[in-house]
Amino acid sequence: MKAIKGKPFFAGIHVHDKKSLACNKETERMPEPEEVYISLSQSLGKPAAPCVEKGQKVKEGELIAKASGPISSNVFASISGEVTDIKPLVGANGGTETYIVIKGDNSGEKAYLPPLENPDGDTIKQRICDCGIVGLGGAGFPTAVKVAPKTSVDTLVLNGAECEPYLTCDHRLMLEHTDEIVRGALMIAKALTVSKIYIGIEANKPDCIAAFEKYDEIQPVILKKQYPMGSEKHLIYVCTGRKVGIGKLPADSGVVVQNVATAYAVCQAVEQGKPLYERILTVSGGAVKEPKNLWVKVGTAVKDIVDYCGGETEEPKKVVQGGPMTGMALSTYDVYTHKTTSGVLLLTGKEAAAEEPTPCLNCGKCADVCPMHLMPMQTAFYASAGDFDSAAKYGNTLSCIECGACEYTCPAKRPLIQAIRKTKAAMRAKQTSSAPAPVVKPVDMKGKSAPTVTLEQKPTGEYVDKGDHKVINEGIKPDKEEKK
Amino acid sequence: MNNQVVVSTPPHVKSPRTTKGIMLDVIIALIPAAVMGIVYFQLDAFIVILTSILASVATEFVYYFIANKGFGNKCKNAGLVCKKWLKQFDYTSIVTGLILALILPPTTKWYEVLLGAIFSIAVVKMLFGGTGKNLVNPAATGRIFMFMSFTITVYSACKIAPVGADSQLFTGATHLSGYLLGGAASAQVGWLDLLLGTGLAGCIGETCKLALIVGFIYLVVRDVIKWWQPVLYVVLSAFLSVCLAAIGSTFEIGLFIDYALSGGLMFGAIFMATDYVTSPKGVYGQIVYYVALAVLTSVLRYLTKIEVVSFVIMLMNLVVPLIDTYIVRKPFGYKKVKKQKEGK
Repeated sequence: MKAIKGKPFFAGIHVHDKKSLACNKETERMPEPEEVYISLSQSLGKPAAPCVEKGQKVKEGELIAKASGPISSNVFASISGEVTDIKPLVGANGGTETYIVIKGDNSGEKAYLPPLENPDGDTIKQRICDCGIVGLGGAGFPTAVKVAPKTSVDTLVLNGAECEPYLTCDHRLMLEHTDEIVRGALMIAKALTVSKIYIGIEANKPDCIAAFEKYDEIQPVILKKQYPMGSEKHLIYVCTGRKVGIGKLPADSGVVVQNVATAYAVCQAVEQGKPLYERILTVSGGAVKEPKNLWVKVGTAVKDIVDYCGGETEEPKKVVQGGPMTGMALSTYDVYTHKTTSGVLLLTGKEAAAEEPTPCLNCGKCADVCPMHLMPMQTAFYASAGDFDSAAKYGNTLSCIECGACEYTCPAKRPLIQAIRKTKAAMRAKQTSSAPAPVVKPVDMKGKSAPTVTLEQKPTGEYVDKGDHKVINEGIKPDKEEKK
Repeated sequence: MNNQVVVSTPPHVKSPRTTKGIMLDVIIALIPAAVMGIVYFQLDAFIVILTSILASVATEFVYYFIANKGFGNKCKNAGLVCKKWLKQFDYTSIVTGLILALILPPTTKWYEVLLGAIFSIAVVKMLFGGTGKNLVNPAATGRIFMFMSFTITVYSACKIAPVGADSQLFTGATHLSGYLLGGAASAQVGWLDLLLGTGLAGCIGETCKLALIVGFIYLVVRDVIKWWQPVLYVVLSAFLSVCLAAIGSTFEIGLFIDYALSGGLMFGAIFMATDYVTSPKGVYGQIVYYVALAVLTSVLRYLTKIEVVSFVIMLMNLVVPLIDTYIVRKPFGYKKVKKQKEGK
């Protein structure tokens, strides 16, 4: 179908996308690592419950941990070999996660589910659940829950925006596996019993738009090159003109959004019976020798990935897992990929800003660019004084999608997202416990520079899981002996 | 591999724009006005501008040096303190000094300017906490301070910019005061003269409107200010002035341009009202702020017959915290929730 232009939306930022580093690199399959560390916390919700034992032989694609709860997902062995250990480790976010360690035997034995032919909607839903498919855009919400909405839906929107700078994995996927994505989208549409399928693609990927124009079943929508166009609520608004209410799910507006990579995974799960144990990710940034788009097994060490891409050309200032706007800064290379890891970025000092904050000028630029129409400066103002109630009230913080547009644009380089996350954590703590709310320290805005840690220096046991993945900066403290 | 990496919350890339850069843009935008002021009023204007900027920066430095703890220690490590000060210096005091100079008449004595600049920086800005913390616009308040302290020089004596190369400087009432007091007093002044400021009395930077418009365009292109803000203020204020002038006489839309281009309105609208620190943060708050500014300016001009722009800006600055507290934007998708509530 001929591509149409999306509805105009006036907020957000224009970031230099730096996608040219890797967007022309064809995807490669990274050789199997000798050992994988597969986390049991692969999606939001509770970690999966392991169903293998130490010493057990597993095949590639075999179930090793079962979902335990409504928004948890199955976990699969990504290589064939022997389970050598099941142990807790400190993850990228500073919290502990349980990992299943598998030592590979290079036999290449696979244990897939039987392929389905002409399945009906319920069979597809069951298969999505069995194959442990989660939203591959980054949030990791189990797809099985998304395709079984409580309200009736009439539209499926595929998210091919890939608005994050540097990342090009969805771009490559859309070019190289257009057909599978469309088939996967049709399967999801069948499971949801919807007829209208949109795919939103940013205008900086004309080749992808052209590729999808060949299909009659799917309506490509050209999105303005503007961050964050890939945010669920804004994608829905731009494609369908519907607004998702505050605190509501997209399904309440009759829409379900799926990432293109998720659609591809669904297609593979149904047609080949292949569970989700590998994904495509982008390795990029100024400090990596050869930026690449790689098929990587879940549980591969970031260190191996960086080594495979030729290592560092210079010392990176920041190592980021995920996109540069919402991803996580790593303190060590010894972390392992998850189902949701969409990129590994090695940013040079020039690319990654680590400037000290200066006083807020009240310029209001953060409010101008906020796609949710919030007032981040109010949140930061009250949060720095420790008054989180007022922060949430005047900044409307709880509606924040944490896209990072405000902090990107801030001329004073204020840590706005940190203030927002702290406010959210404080409000959540207040809601969940009837006891007096735990004291969350005010956000430090006094211009102390961000903590630095030495790579390869692993955070030790003193960093306890705070039970909240979103508050990531707390666990990592600067080493006092290091110079500033 | 034993290097240091920074661990912080996202986003990991940030825009190249900084506070310093924005202040530099404002200074660049003010340069045409300053240059035209020096061309028209020559040495007098130059002395005022120089005194004002130097006094502002020096005041900030002295305040930084003597305020806070450890004065004795700071004296010992004066060099280090200077370095530290330079590192955090963000050009805001230069902007304040320059704006203050440009809204003063060229006849102002240097010691008057000195006192005004010290008041602007020390009392209005630094005592409230420095950059970003001041409640009211330092330059506008500094001018008001001088207006009250040295009324004769600041208010009544304005030199007239030379029309040709050979005409002498002499003092007289500003074009605007002529309008407000008598009406047809300056009928001989054409729109082009108003735009260029030739043959008019006025303050150093406010006389040549063309230079101000150039600065305005620069600021808009550099995305420092939003174009509609000064336009809303100037157009609405001039229109209301025309309406008020029509009370008891005929309605003359031709006066519109005279009102828009006279006095300190345009300078105030472009460089003072749009000051980030003392204007509302949200879009709706900004609309309220500029409409209120325009209404107050035209009404007070009509009633008091003097130039009121700095007073009005200071007055509205004081209301800004209230505007910010009570006019909060509704988040994206808010309407939907409201509708459903009504449905119940």
